[in-house]
Amino acid sequence: MPYLEMKGITKLYANGLLANDAIDFSVEKSEIHAVVGENGAGKTTLMKILYGLEQPDAGTITLAGSLVSIRNPLDANRLGIGMVHQHFKLIPDFTVVENVILGIEPVRAGIFVDRGVASARIRQIVEQHGFSVDPRTPVHQLTVGQMQQVEIVKMLYRDASLLILDEPTSVLTEQEIGKLFVTLRSLQKGGRTCIIITHKLQEVLEISDRLTVMRKGAVVAVRRTADVPDRAELARLMVGRDVLYPLTRVKKACGDAVLELKDVTLTQRGRSRPLLSNINLSVHSCEIVGVAGVSGNGLGELEDVVAGLQRVTSGHVLHLGEDVTALGAAELRERGMAYVPADRLHRGSSLQSSVTENMIVANHHRFLRAGFLKRGKIQAFADGLTKSFGIDGGPHVPIGTLSGGNIQKVILARELTSAANIVVVAEPTWGLDVASSQFVYEKVLSMRAAGAGVLFISSALDEILGIADSIIVMYRGRVVAQLANDQNTQSDPNVSKQFKEYIGEYMLGLKDDFAPTNLKGKDAQP
Amino acid sequence: MKGKKSLGDFLASLTGLALTLLISFALVIALILILSKTPGKTLFYFFIGPFTNNYYLGNMLNVAVPLVFTGLGIAVAFKSSVFNLGGEGQVYAGGLATTLVCLALPVANGFVGVLLAIIAAMVLGGAIAGFSGYCKMKWNADEMISSFLVSSAVVLIVNYFITGPLQDPHNNMLASLPLAHQYSLLKLFPPSKLNLSALFAIVMAVLVFFFMNRSHIGYEMRMCGLNREFSRYGGINVSKYLVLPMILSGALHGIGGGLMVLGTYGVLYEGFSAGMGWNGIAVALIAKNNPLGVLPAALLFAYLDAGAKAAMLSGDVTFEIASIAQSFIFYLVTAQALYSLVHRRRRAA
Amino acid sequence: MSNSQYSVPLVFNAVEIMTPFLLAAIGGLFTELTGMLNIALEGLILAGAFFSVIFAAATGSLFLGITMGILCSMLFALLFGAITIYLRANVFITGLATNLFASGFTIVLAFQIFHTKGNIQFPNIPPLPSFSVPPFLQRIPILGDILFGHNIIVYIGWLIVVIAAVVIYRTPFGMRLRGTGMNEQTIISLGLNPKRYQLSAILISGFTCGLAGAMLTIQLAAFVPNISSGRGWIALVAIYLGNRTPLGIFIASFVFGLAESFSNYAQGAIKIPVDFILALPYLITIAAMILYAIWRHARTGK
Repeated sequence: MPYLEMKGITKLYANGLLANDAIDFSVEKSEIHAVVGENGAGKTTLMKILYGLEQPDAGTITLAGSLVSIRNPLDANRLGIGMVHQHFKLIPDFTVVENVILGIEPVRAGIFVDRGVASARIRQIVEQHGFSVDPRTPVHQLTVGQMQQVEIVKMLYRDASLLILDEPTSVLTEQEIGKLFVTLRSLQKGGRTCIIITHKLQEVLEISDRLTVMRKGAVVAVRRTADVPDRAELARLMVGRDVLYPLTRVKKACGDAVLELKDVTLTQRGRSRPLLSNINLSVHSCEIVGVAGVSGNGLGELEDVVAGLQRVTSGHVLHLGEDVTALGAAELRERGMAYVPADRLHRGSSLQSSVTENMIVANHHRFLRAGFLKRGKIQAFADGLTKSFGIDGGPHVPIGTLSGGNIQKVILARELTSAANIVVVAEPTWGLDVASSQFVYEKVLSMRAAGAGVLFISSALDEILGIADSIIVMYRGRVVAQLANDQNTQSDPNVSKQFKEYIGEYMLGLKDDFAPTNLKGKDAQP
Repeated sequence: MKGKKSLGDFLASLTGLALTLLISFALVIALILILSKTPGKTLFYFFIGPFTNNYYLGNMLNVAVPLVFTGLGIAVAFKSSVFNLGGEGQVYAGGLATTLVCLALPVANGFVGVLLAIIAAMVLGGAIAGFSGYCKMKWNADEMISSFLVSSAVVLIVNYFITGPLQDPHNNMLASLPLAHQYSLLKLFPPSKLNLSALFAIVMAVLVFFFMNRSHIGYEMRMCGLNREFSRYGGINVSKYLVLPMILSGALHGIGGGLMVLGTYGVLYEGFSAGMGWNGIAVALIAKNNPLGVLPAALLFAYLDAGAKAAMLSGDVTFEIASIAQSFIFYLVTAQALYSLVHRRRRAA
Repeated sequence: MSNSQYSVPLVFNAVEIMTPFLLAAIGGLFTELTGMLNIALEGLILAGAFFSVIFAAATGSLFLGITMGILCSMLFALLFGAITIYLRANVFITGLATNLFASGFTIVLAFQIFHTKGNIQFPNIPPLPSFSVPPFLQRIPILGDILFGHNIIVYIGWLIVVIAAVVIYRTPFGMRLRGTGMNEQTIISLGLNPKRYQLSAILISGFTCGLAGAMLTIQLAAFVPNISSGRGWIALVAIYLGNRTPLGIFIASFVFGLAESFSNYAQGAIKIPVDFILALPYLITIAAMILYAIWRHARTGK
């Protein structure tokens, strides 16, 4: 008999979205079960129902043979169900201990929080699982991998015997993923059950015992992982058709350096380590330079500096050979920089404004007559872009109502004009489905074909390997590797894995090609 | 060019607004029933009184005029996401500037004098608010708190002028010397105080509407208001738009104050602004920061004001009943729950 | 004019004058920690001021009067909190509404009961008791003169500050309160309801503001319309200048108390127009605010 059985779960949201359609889902005791599907398949909703964050419109949940009602996370905790969220639910200014005990604080003399007792128990859990966290540190000082460990400890502290992990590897490096898998196996050996929500096909095949595939709110397949031959089969189940497009890369650097960073350093008062330290890189026309790294190691700061939104502390930025270090976003745009930001929703668009108003933010002064905007011309401009980029949504609706993929299309339409000579894209396919991601890659490749240089910043190593001509790896604000992307990673998954692990060592600071000799080895520890 | 709202959204806004007004009026009725010994008569005077004669009606429209200006001032600021909490002081300062100019000018061409006086009011109001905007731009000092503090100090300083150097020596009132006749604005509807400034208010509302929605600067101000980071990314000078909306907002408030002195009172007396600054906030909110919507919203507030005045003169209740009704409009005008009754807005997780 | 002759009474008065600021600010701190900007402090003080003196006069008992005053202030706070939190209204606007409502309501009620919109005297209410200390404590030079001999509300205020500090930093309630302000999503994910903590914080601010208002009117034995006259706003500024900590608020409140005490003194002694002196607290606060912003700006180098 299955340990957990969800039968006939249905959830219809008020806006008409049928997130779960009479779903039957079951998990055996002590197994690692993966729930797989594209964005919007309904997997998160199903797990939210299991954890009590949402209520189903129909259906039942049975745990260890008895029918249960889970009205909120406290009920779930009491039943031994714990959830490790994709976006960590941690309070940065609180310590690890405070974060773990929040909501079930042990008290002394009836009113005072007993941090000592909690600390001892947490230390025990940390040691038992080989985690590397000191309970007394404030959470904002931890690495992303450690934060996830805190989330896991939070659930173990509540005696969770069924752990739900929502997209747990999306923010981890290869090595950290390896560590997580070790943790999951040890939890399994201790008799606990794990459910992993993910869309990362390779990891599903590696870690899970059984898997459930969801598509558009329904379960389309349940398999034992050993019975699934390869990623392609899994992808087919997820999307319903063959999906792994090999990206075509044609190497031909054709011109001078469009963008150069020379010894760029960025410091901030109150931070002991520089945010960026002696960055040297260059992008030539017809070249795609990929910047890889784990988020938090300077990718975001590099993005801000190159885009003109953050002034450097020292060093120079050159554009077409001229020093542009002092210039801001507006001037760089005029010189031909296009910039697709990582933060699509808050920096890349104004969610409440219309699609048209979003499209003209950078060039609205070209549509002026005596200080007033020429609405006819603007409309024609926007309509033209909407058509050529296949944007699915009227020009007057607030852009926030469009899907993530269409929002990105609006941003691309605005940025990728023929006048651009340097294109900076950061995390461009985050949260997008396969078709939209493909669209992004194609547009980036076409910009290169037209002669622009592209700086492609991403924490998703897979896509950098698929598209970049050369790869720069950043760790703790420094460039630690500069590699040509000439491995034949597309056709042979083994080569791909090796290369990824090789780069992963740089991403984790285990290797450093540019370490200053007197500091050699200092950066080696995570 | 703005995102067109669907009919459903519009109806939802109206319903929420209607509920707000319904509850506020019901409260007034309840208060009058409880407090007045002649509830019937008082109710009549409150709701119908303002329309019973030219005097009441004209004065009601006249009270709406400064509310239009302060409402516009707040709408412009809110649309740009800057918070001008110093409206009272800016209105007051506008009155002072106007008075100073009129008293200082030799008794000459009325039209020129009025023009200069209004410009002075704009400049002083704009400068006071602009100061807070500047502090925000330069040092990220909260403009909401600083504009409030500056305004409180300004009110006191202006009072000093009224009761000191400017005071009319011929009587004991806390007021300045009266302004010369040629500066007073043409009365439109005697015996009420309604004057030319009413037309000016309508024109200004239309001007501000076109400015915010069709002009280049208006577009940039609105974009900064909606998403400053996005605007900066798009190349808009966001620093400029921390100061400019405050200046415009202060200038509008100043004009409101100046027109009150020129048109209605003919003299600067202590406390003449009487909450116009604060009520401007409610007016802007009811109008959803839409400059054209400020006109009916200002009328609504003026109606409450006039009703309370009429009820007070003819009945046995005190004028502050209007404040209670107005406070409930404030309470409910942003209550999202009222608007969700018609339009459901749950989003999928 | 020796220093001690004027400076000791100056500071003594400052300690007393700072108490309403302190009480309102401490209550406001709770709401601030839950992430809500509470500008209703002004109206809550007014409500406490009005109802406490009325009930004290009606019952002849200070204790009953103050208790009822606090209760009424908490009712106003309940209205403010319920509409803001459960009807999802804009907290800034509802704060303004509360101030307007309290102002109008007290005047309407005063007019109804006493048929006047001016000051109302209550000569027959008992005076606020002072907290007496052994004479040897009072004889401590300077500190003795400044710290002892105040009415009990001053000392209750200090006690409340200490209790607040303990509650905020050492109890589960305090932790969850701060958590609500720092990251509401986290609180929800733990199965806790942030609305409960926000409403509690608002009620707490009603409590302290009620006490603050009570002190104003009972000391005066009279009700003056809009007697709160800006104290709620100054309390808000004290919260920010005090960096949102109980100790910081204590210091900031003291500075404001000192400023007002000085302006009272200056009104009599120095030949500056009254209005400028009244404006002094605001001007000092603006200057302090801007200097603080400049200093903070230079520190973070942004």
